Amino acid sequence: MNALSVENLCVKADNRHLIENITFSVEEGRIIAIIGPNGAGKTTLIRAILGLIPYSPGSVLLFGHPMKHANSHGKVGYVPQKLEFDRTFPLTVSELLGFTVPPIYSFPFIRKKGEKKHISELLESVGVHELADRSIGSLSGGELQRAMIAKAIVNDPKILILDEPASGVDIEGQERFYDLIKRLNKEKGLTVILISHDLNVVYRFADSVLCMNRRLICTGRPAETLTDEVIKTVYGEMMGAYIHSCHEHD
Amino acid sequence: MITEFLSYPFIQRAFLASLMVGVLCPFVGNFVVLRRMSFFSDAISHSAFAGIAVGALLGIDLSMSSLIVAMLVSLLIAFLSEKTTLSHDTVIGIAFSGAIASGMLVIGMLKGYRVDIFTYLFGDILAITSTDLLFLFIISILSVVILLFFSKPLLQITFNRDLAQVEGINVRLFEYLLFFIIAVVVTVSLKIIGIILVTSLLIVPAAAAKNLASSMKHLFSLSCVFGLVSGFIGLIASVYLNTASGPTIVLVSIGIFFLTMLNSRRTH
Repeated sequence: MNALSVENLCVKADNRHLIENITFSVEEGRIIAIIGPNGAGKTTLIRAILGLIPYSPGSVLLFGHPMKHANSHGKVGYVPQKLEFDRTFPLTVSELLGFTVPPIYSFPFIRKKGEKKHISELLESVGVHELADRSIGSLSGGELQRAMIAKAIVNDPKILILDEPASGVDIEGQERFYDLIKRLNKEKGLTVILISHDLNVVYRFADSVLCMNRRLICTGRPAETLTDEVIKTVYGEMMGAYIHSCHEHD
Repeated sequence: MITEFLSYPFIQRAFLASLMVGVLCPFVGNFVVLRRMSFFSDAISHSAFAGIAVGALLGIDLSMSSLIVAMLVSLLIAFLSEKTTLSHDTVIGIAFSGAIASGMLVIGMLKGYRVDIFTYLFGDILAITSTDLLFLFIISILSVVILLFFSKPLLQITFNRDLAQVEGINVRLFEYLLFFIIAVVVTVSLKIIGIILVTSLLIVPAAAAKNLASSMKHLFSLSCVFGLVSGFIGLIASVYLNTASGPTIVLVSIGIFFLTMLNSRRTH
């Protein structure tokens, strides 16, 4: 079954197409990477899929249902590219995760005791149990991304959408981050859609790749799709064939 | 000495009012500070001034007219911010100037000197009636209960709008609700603290608490404690020093703010 189906998606601003006629689908339980140069419309595509910006024409179906209705049940977890927030916001990691734990409408003093346990287990599952009482503004890039992953999976979503999730994180942190995503994909059967500039990541972790530059250029398995010609089309003539050091993910 | 001080009914009412406003304003003010909306609360208090002027002109209850105009202006600001490409502070600036200009225009049309209007401008806690106190009590309870019950979505939106929307929260509805509550709280506090200083009581205790707090729970508790202390000490000091209550309460809260600066977690 398709976890996500996007058809003829167009987003315009000032009568100019930011993205045009994007059509693709993602099978349940797969990891798809979206690649393209800066300004290719990758984040715009994600934001349109999530309903954060309007699109016309086009359709976005989540497990066969329009995104707007499907998402009200918390089927989508999202980690934005650069989380914009006030670093002086006196908010602990536990409190941040607690915003997403149901019941959403309740008095703080009668919230279920299970909430604390649930949050603790989530943080444990992403390997940052010790961050529970840390202020969100004091976290490093890698810690924040892990905390945001924990937040994104609070309601056991079916799809995880990650917009350049490891940007600004050191190489070791990136490695651990993508291992975590892969583990969540295997253990929970999560469908993962991620934007990445790192083709090494795409080869290693993605089942399929979607190349775009305002329009869809190609989709398919990374090893078959990311040919020298495609890379030059996507990134320009200056880019040569990418020699990756790792085996393609199987 | 304090017992004697509290034996006067008007002082008792003033004392209760200062305690209620001391909790209510900082509680709501936390959202104002976290969302960087101080200018919004200033615009609302000044639009209440226009409401008071209209109420005086039409001969209707001034509290009611100020409340209606403040709520209308808050909804107008929310609507224009959403529907135009103008920045939020530009929209607020337009509403702010419009409210002041309308208020001054209408006051110019009134005959004679109106003491009741100037009570709202500078506030007079000692003139609080039992009806005012009851009204303030009801609004305080309702506002705090609503904000507590919807604290998760409201704080989630305050932290990051996009994440809130993706998680299925009706961002627009909750933002309108928050603007509405701020408008109500500002309006009911006017008679006590005055149009000019009401924003201070919203912001200063919350800002002082933000200097020290490491969690939301901490922030909300501390801000209310600072508000209560400001109200209590400010009122007593104003009686003994024979100064205006509103400014004295605000100055005490500013003193607390500077004290918290000494131990601020985020002072670099």
